[in-house]
Amino acid sequence: MPNRILLRIVVALAVVTSATVAAQAPLNIRLATLAPESSPWTSALRSMGAAWTKATASRVRLTVYAGTIPSESSAIARMAVDGLQAATLTAGGLAEIDESFNVFGIPFFFQSDAEVAFVQEKMAPMIAQRLQAKKFHFINWANAGWVQLFSKNPIRSIGDLKRAKLYTGEGSPKTVQWYTSNGFHVVPLSLGEIPKQLKLPTGAIDAAPSPPVFALTLQFFRDASYMLDIRVAPLTSATIMTDSAWNRISPDDRTKMIEAAQTMEKQIQAQAPALDAKSINEMKAAGLQVITLDASALGAFQAAAESQLATQRGNMVPPDVFDAAVRARTAFRTSAGR
Amino acid sequence: MIDAQPAALGETAEPGTPSGPRALLALTEDSVATLAAIGIMVLPLGEIVLRRFFSTGIPGAAPFTTHLTLILGLIGAAIAAREGKLLALATGTMMPEGRPRHVAGIVAAFVGALVTTILALGGVRLLQVHYEVAKEIAIGVPTWAADLAFPIAFGLIALRLVWRSSPAAIGRAVAALGIVAGAWISTHPELLLDQSGWPWIAVLIGAAILGMPLYALIGGAAVILFLVQGDSPANAIIGSYDQLTSTDLPAIPLFTLAGFLLAEGHASDRLLRLFRAFFGWAPGGTAVVTAILCAFFTLLTGGSGVTILALGGLLMPALIADGYRERFSLGLLTAAGSLGLLFPPSLPLILYGIVAEVPIGDLFVGGFLPGLLMLGALAALGVREGLAIGSVRRRFTIREALAATWSAKWELMLPVVIIGSLLAGATTVQSAALAALFTLVVQRFIQRDLAGFGDLRRAMSRSIALVGGILIILAVAVGFTTYLIDAQVPARLADWTRANVESKWVFLLGLNAFLIIVGGMMDIFSSIIVVVPLIVPIARHFQVDPIHLGIIFIANSELGYLTPPVGENLFVASYRFNKPILHIAGAMLPMYIILLIGVLLVTYVPWLTLGLLR
Repeated sequence: MPNRILLRIVVALAVVTSATVAAQAPLNIRLATLAPESSPWTSALRSMGAAWTKATASRVRLTVYAGTIPSESSAIARMAVDGLQAATLTAGGLAEIDESFNVFGIPFFFQSDAEVAFVQEKMAPMIAQRLQAKKFHFINWANAGWVQLFSKNPIRSIGDLKRAKLYTGEGSPKTVQWYTSNGFHVVPLSLGEIPKQLKLPTGAIDAAPSPPVFALTLQFFRDASYMLDIRVAPLTSATIMTDSAWNRISPDDRTKMIEAAQTMEKQIQAQAPALDAKSINEMKAAGLQVITLDASALGAFQAAAESQLATQRGNMVPPDVFDAAVRARTAFRTSAGR
Repeated sequence: MIDAQPAALGETAEPGTPSGPRALLALTEDSVATLAAIGIMVLPLGEIVLRRFFSTGIPGAAPFTTHLTLILGLIGAAIAAREGKLLALATGTMMPEGRPRHVAGIVAAFVGALVTTILALGGVRLLQVHYEVAKEIAIGVPTWAADLAFPIAFGLIALRLVWRSSPAAIGRAVAALGIVAGAWISTHPELLLDQSGWPWIAVLIGAAILGMPLYALIGGAAVILFLVQGDSPANAIIGSYDQLTSTDLPAIPLFTLAGFLLAEGHASDRLLRLFRAFFGWAPGGTAVVTAILCAFFTLLTGGSGVTILALGGLLMPALIADGYRERFSLGLLTAAGSLGLLFPPSLPLILYGIVAEVPIGDLFVGGFLPGLLMLGALAALGVREGLAIGSVRRRFTIREALAATWSAKWELMLPVVIIGSLLAGATTVQSAALAALFTLVVQRFIQRDLAGFGDLRRAMSRSIALVGGILIILAVAVGFTTYLIDAQVPARLADWTRANVESKWVFLLGLNAFLIIVGGMMDIFSSIIVVVPLIVPIARHFQVDPIHLGIIFIANSELGYLTPPVGENLFVASYRFNKPILHIAGAMLPMYIILLIGVLLVTYVPWLTLGLLR
């Protein structure tokens, strides 16, 4: 049956051709982030993309959508339907995928950039594994400085803090509950309300944890003119990719991409302190008063915060993740103390 | 020409009251929507009271409020479809009577049902996604429960398009094939992959001309364009979900309800008397008051469509009674609804500051003179009209002024309630909820304008169908915007500008044209988020001051609200005053021209913006 043979050859050829075409077709990764177009994070992502294109001989391309998604939840949903293949999200957004990311939002848990970097490095495999279970691949960390405490009246102790009317996001009733049960007075509001509420004499809040760059941009430091230099929490972000996209990349290319991603991570990590300092200096010049606690006051603050730490375990952060984070932090502090 | 009337689709449908299962369905829809509306009012108020006086709160008050808004908007749209109130091009009614119109109705319903089925199944996909990640609204209530509104509402709308397409069973059967085709395309997305989208868009436009509702044109374009590039239509629905659950959106149904409660009673009579007492002596007095009051309302509510809804019912009769031509009054009310965006604490100004990273305080100061200029321009037009028609002028007497003030004291309290609550720290939504509750209590129990439960229910159901008709268009428009962003249309435009434009003045002129077009296609909040980051670097390249750029942006957006095809004020006014959009657009032309001159002055005289800042 020559016809049948011919047919088989044609089919075989077609399969081979389409397979080659598939192997050669560049994979376009669409990545979204809340960071605005003109921010250092966006330009770092773009240079990572350029490095990916170069390292994979254009087999992988990265398109960065900066500041175009309405929310991080939206980016997560878009990844689930393959409308996006990657996203750089803050810990708050990532916690929607896996609560382990809440560990980076625990108030007063971390004290320094080095400590955060150490704990992140130790926890990366565990977090990567948890993400894997949710069909995402961990790419890199992208830290963006520290959340500080801005207030209308000076705050010097945890007692002062508990008397303040504190801003918190309205997306997480669990966080509200945690603060309330620990004796804080929080008011859930949308981000856009912060400047207005701080300006009003009878506003709903009189203190707001915020990254300095945000207080500067929104100018609310003019009303909340005290900043407690306490490092509430690091503003941690991470880049993740969907498994379905990641699995389309050859192992060789993946290695090269991760190398480029780690270069970006280091670059951002190195930039962040200077960016914070720049914002704080600009605000100081415009009248911001920075409160720095002396050793004993700081100790008391941290001890008080530490005593409430356990209430995060299992409630906000999965117990095993929480324990691993505490272990890593202890290891860092022990080695640093030595 | 766009018409809020039941265009071609409704013409051939059976009138009469539904009975049996359909009546039960209607009752269920009305009840769900009403309960959602009550929730949107009660939750923010409960939150204020508990938070302020008891240091507690309602867990998840804000997320529950936004998700109830989603349910209200979508079910409201299904109700609008039931009552033939979905916005459609009026061209369908221009088809010759008889067979051609009958066929046109069936074709339009076929395409509409096809698109709507794809949207419904996109909603199912969104529901699955939220179910898989176990997303919660709050305190353990799953998000998918709210997502159910997507497939249910779009499903009902598709069925209603089919039902209303023809009185004959065969006609309905043909239209129903649209549902089958939509389901087929949704399950075989590869059919459209890598095809050109244009023939499909042409079909959609054709169907819209034959009378298909407007949301199906915009939503259809979004899903088809996504399918062509190999993406799921669920991407568009995710955009819709984001829009319908956005923080300040609940203010729209709340202010609408307040407006309808006022409109159902005699509030307009009392306010009319008040205006006459105070401004009746001046030429164009009532027109001037209209401009000021609208600007004032818009700066409070942030969205100018709301202003037309809330004040249209009051000011329209007042203007007519004072002798203004209906055409002028329509134009004035539609245009004045967009004033106010330049005055603090306007939401778009704040959002612009956030996105462009410029001090919001400077924007507030910078916007003041341009805001006054635009307001003054419209007021001047009012005076001219007053002089030209010799509008009724009355002698001013202290006695009548006091009496009129006293009789309208409760209505006058409404702005006081809104501003007072905002100044006391309420959010926009909380303030809107308070305004709705205040109006309800005043109209039902104090003024007793709404005699019984029936009046109340009528005001409620009218506002629900209206809100549904508006929100469904906003929702699918965001789906379309999502596609544009994915396709990097705005980014490419920016690259092109940088490469091809050299002079600052040419850039500014191009920017004006571009922003007016964008404003006509996107709502102001989306356009700020999408467009501002793109134009800021280009403007820096041309050395345009960032504060000046912000004011140019917002001033242009005011015009965008009035620009077809999607200019929000046009379709809101079309709804509110029951007039075709083309009629409204024509009536508004003189106001548009004078505002355009204002925008050009704001653009080319930077001093107007920067003078007070220096």
